[in-house]
Amino acid sequence: MSGARYPGYDVLAKRHTPSWNEKTRRVIDQRLALPREPRFLDAAEWQTLEAVAARVVPQPPDRPPVPIAAMIDDKLKEDRRDGYRDARLPPLREAWRRGLAALDAEARQRFRVPFHSIDSAEQDALLEAAQGGRLAHPAWGGMRCGLFFAKRLLLDIVTAYYGHPTAWSEIGFGGPASPRGYVRMEFDRRDPWEAVEDKPHAG
Amino acid sequence: MMRRLPLLAIAGMVGLGAFAAARMRRPQRIARRPQPRAKRFGPVALSATVARDVDRSAALLALLALADSGLEHYRGSFHNRVMYVPLGVAATTMVACLRDAASGSRRTQRSAAVPGLAITTGIVGTGFHIYNIAKRPGGISWLNLFYAAPLGAPAALSLAGLLDGTARLLRRDRHAFAGAPLARLLAGIVAAGLVGSSAEAGLLHFRGAYHNPAMVIPVIVPPAAAFLLARAAMCRRGRHAPARWMLLSLAAIGLAGTGFHAYGVQRNMGGWRNLSQNLLNGPPLPAPPAFTALAIAGLAALRLIETGA
Amino acid sequence: MPDDAQLVPRGMHGRAPDVLRVGGWLPMREYREGEPVDFAIVGTGAGGATLACRLAEAGFSVVGFDAGPWWRPLEDFASDETHQQKLYWTDERLCDGRDPLVLGANNSGQSVGGSTVHFAMVSLRFRPEWFKARTLLGYGADWPIDWREMWRYYREVEQALKISGPVRYPWGPKRPRYPYRPHELNAAALVLAQGAEAMGIAWAPTPLATLSAPRGGSHPCVYRGFCVSGCSTNAKQSALVTWIPRAVAAGAEIRDLAMVGRIETDHRGLATGVHYHRCGRWRFQRARNVVVAGYAIETPRLLLSSTCARFPDGLANGSGLVGRYLMTQSNQAVYGTMEREVRWYKGPPSLSLSEHWNYADSGKDFFGGYCFMSQGPLPVAWAGIVASSRKLWGAALRQEMEKYNHQVGLKMVGEVLPDAKNRVTLADEKDRFGLPVARVTFSYGENDRKLIRHALRFMRQSLDAAGARELWDEEDDTCHLNGTARMGTDPRSSVVDADCRSWDIPNLWICDGSVFPTVGGVNPSLTIQALACRTADRIRALAARGELYAT
Repeated sequence: MSGARYPGYDVLAKRHTPSWNEKTRRVIDQRLALPREPRFLDAAEWQTLEAVAARVVPQPPDRPPVPIAAMIDDKLKEDRRDGYRDARLPPLREAWRRGLAALDAEARQRFRVPFHSIDSAEQDALLEAAQGGRLAHPAWGGMRCGLFFAKRLLLDIVTAYYGHPTAWSEIGFGGPASPRGYVRMEFDRRDPWEAVEDKPHAG
Repeated sequence: MMRRLPLLAIAGMVGLGAFAAARMRRPQRIARRPQPRAKRFGPVALSATVARDVDRSAALLALLALADSGLEHYRGSFHNRVMYVPLGVAATTMVACLRDAASGSRRTQRSAAVPGLAITTGIVGTGFHIYNIAKRPGGISWLNLFYAAPLGAPAALSLAGLLDGTARLLRRDRHAFAGAPLARLLAGIVAAGLVGSSAEAGLLHFRGAYHNPAMVIPVIVPPAAAFLLARAAMCRRGRHAPARWMLLSLAAIGLAGTGFHAYGVQRNMGGWRNLSQNLLNGPPLPAPPAFTALAIAGLAALRLIETGA
Repeated sequence: MPDDAQLVPRGMHGRAPDVLRVGGWLPMREYREGEPVDFAIVGTGAGGATLACRLAEAGFSVVGFDAGPWWRPLEDFASDETHQQKLYWTDERLCDGRDPLVLGANNSGQSVGGSTVHFAMVSLRFRPEWFKARTLLGYGADWPIDWREMWRYYREVEQALKISGPVRYPWGPKRPRYPYRPHELNAAALVLAQGAEAMGIAWAPTPLATLSAPRGGSHPCVYRGFCVSGCSTNAKQSALVTWIPRAVAAGAEIRDLAMVGRIETDHRGLATGVHYHRCGRWRFQRARNVVVAGYAIETPRLLLSSTCARFPDGLANGSGLVGRYLMTQSNQAVYGTMEREVRWYKGPPSLSLSEHWNYADSGKDFFGGYCFMSQGPLPVAWAGIVASSRKLWGAALRQEMEKYNHQVGLKMVGEVLPDAKNRVTLADEKDRFGLPVARVTFSYGENDRKLIRHALRFMRQSLDAAGARELWDEEDDTCHLNGTARMGTDPRSSVVDADCRSWDIPNLWICDGSVFPTVGGVNPSLTIQALACRTADRIRALAARGELYAT
């Protein structure tokens, strides 16, 4: 498991520096203030989503988790689509509902309990099967599980996680940058307001 | 405009103050042998006042070199330890020149260490900078001349050292060095400095695409002043009004340029609030006053030339 | 929570937002719907905004319509990729074919200013031979325009946008100096340069439509790296910041949050105006000429759905080619890891490039060309790339992502050949306006695949030579859209003529990337704007000769 590559670095600590502007503060505050319970998905879908997110992006227990499920629930509630979709997939909300229900159905078929109740190794195995296109429960309703995994499940979960300040701090991203951008753009150079890398990790 | 006014005023006052200090006659130190009044306008006294002005010019140049190398090497994260050296040398040169200018002594006990160190550091620094430019992809190219280590910057330290050395010779009542009259030598150093600084300004204003018409001024006036000064040095006798006026204008341009650069810093995204970026990315504040410093030395050289010294 | 600008139009009540001043307004002329304006322009992107500006400056009455909001970058833009997706087209489109396109951030904007609000500012000229691709190079189709004419218009656009480019450009015929100097290279761009030198090919700082020095009310670039999420510095010279304010100053009216749903024609077969949806209801603007500038998906979509008794197959579609010959550009990449810190999030994403393979004709087993550029994706975009291309998730994904500050990459912009089977059609699904959704069908051809393989191989070698390790390919990405209303000399095999005027309807024009017969190996924005300038000149010439139609 990866350790802290940028110890002590927190993008949020720059909130009141010239790296953040008012609009950015409002937007990030909104994201940080997302309610931690579902407003679009029902309870069962929510539990499945939380379990899936925990496998796709396992988070370290020693810090407040990025609320991936809440972020996706919010995306579904607002119906924030991509502006295009692979024609073989249903639209955003339908795809997620069906996908979550189908994963649950697959778990029940194999283990008689819902997805969130099976252990993590079994969850991983099911997700791998979905990624490989090997799941065929009627609950998929003709939606190809491999396509759903690649274009919806994986992308939405991963982009939710890396759209959160905690993840930015984790990878040493400079974070918001307006009005102040960056001065030093060369190899191995950083501005004082950028993350310091813990060198043993490098390479 | 209202926001900019205080800053321009401050920049202007600082510059005027520096200029006034350069022109002001300082009282002699009691401990030294007082100059007989009659001798104040004699050739020996003239050398002393010229030397004092040259020292002040050198001190200002050293101060600017300190500020400029400090800022730019900070931007370069002092990634090479040697980048601290010009700061120390510039500071030392500045202090030494200020002391000489204040003391007014005709004799100096110091060795050639300080000016020698400044001159050498400038040359070595230029070597480092050329290497920094040449080692990048593209080598000596416009892109690298724009953004790698500035080619002409270390020369400012050498210039300060050369001026300091000339001032020392003047104080020792020397009239020539290596066969050349000191008046011509001084004029030559100043002219070379003007041409070099102008070229540097021209390069960086080219990088800025001459987006403001005023940016052509440091490309036109300093070489004109250098030309007039050099011509005066060759003619020697008589008054040289055009050279004098050109140098006085140049002194004012140095101050105005600082105001322009301050405006340029403020005008970037975030203005003064984003100082941590704009002070480094914006037009360099220590650059324009170099013309004022050189103008002071040039006017001193002109006095030397006109009195046939 | 949608932004204010997305709910209530700002271009109203006789004023337009002054995007260069916080909270500022400019007076804007307004035209009555019942009285025909000279030109109704659908879309205010690289094509529409440029044309609106030049026509208004020539004295024509112009109304520009855009489905998107009128952003104020200084106040509305956050430093957040997710939030800034508000710049992209978010109404649904269906993508199919063997290689379904990935739209959105790559190529579809929805703003006043169009895709130029989110584009990466790369401003390249066509190689001159490409204008006669079939005759000179043996593939694709010829443009009905001479390259020397385009060279003049390229200069006009470069001057208008104050493109920041290298003092000397290594490829092609001598061109006038770019108005502003190139930007400093970041570490990611230096990797491209080092790799190129190791491979023995030329490279250059990319000519970019973002300022390297101050200009008027705009600030120079602060190298914040959020370019494709919208420039809150106003250094990016998008149409929003350049052509649109000029257009408004010259008397044009821009209507934001105005979705044009249909072009009306009369019994003579001439266009009479546009139906558009604004402030909750459908409205109609009469116009003597209609220009469609919605980019390569919306333009054919509008033409195909504006059917009537006289034109049952859609407008300007006598050739049957509206929507056909859709071209994108291959946008594959090779990524790697460096030992040194790169931190590619600083600065514009593509600060250096090589056009070597656009100008070299030997050493290729394919027609056409490609360029490649350095990269700098921000975390959300990068996570998407890593997850999709490497199929990673779980602990492995998080470990991979931790290398973020050591990543480097080279991304291509590769020519795709025109193929009539690649097309935009109407699907049965309807959008929120009740208009049929577009279906975008695309498959690579054999030549396209060979080009991509060549590029991936070369970029990989280049990165390796520059010292990058753990190299991997991103194989599923495309960018830009062109070709769906191609220009030509024959009405049977093209939709518009060299003046971008449709053959079938003499007062219907098309002014965007749809008109490209070939797409070349460079980003299209500069060419689209140059064509718009040319079209404006042609319209003025026609008007002077009395050959412009009026209803």
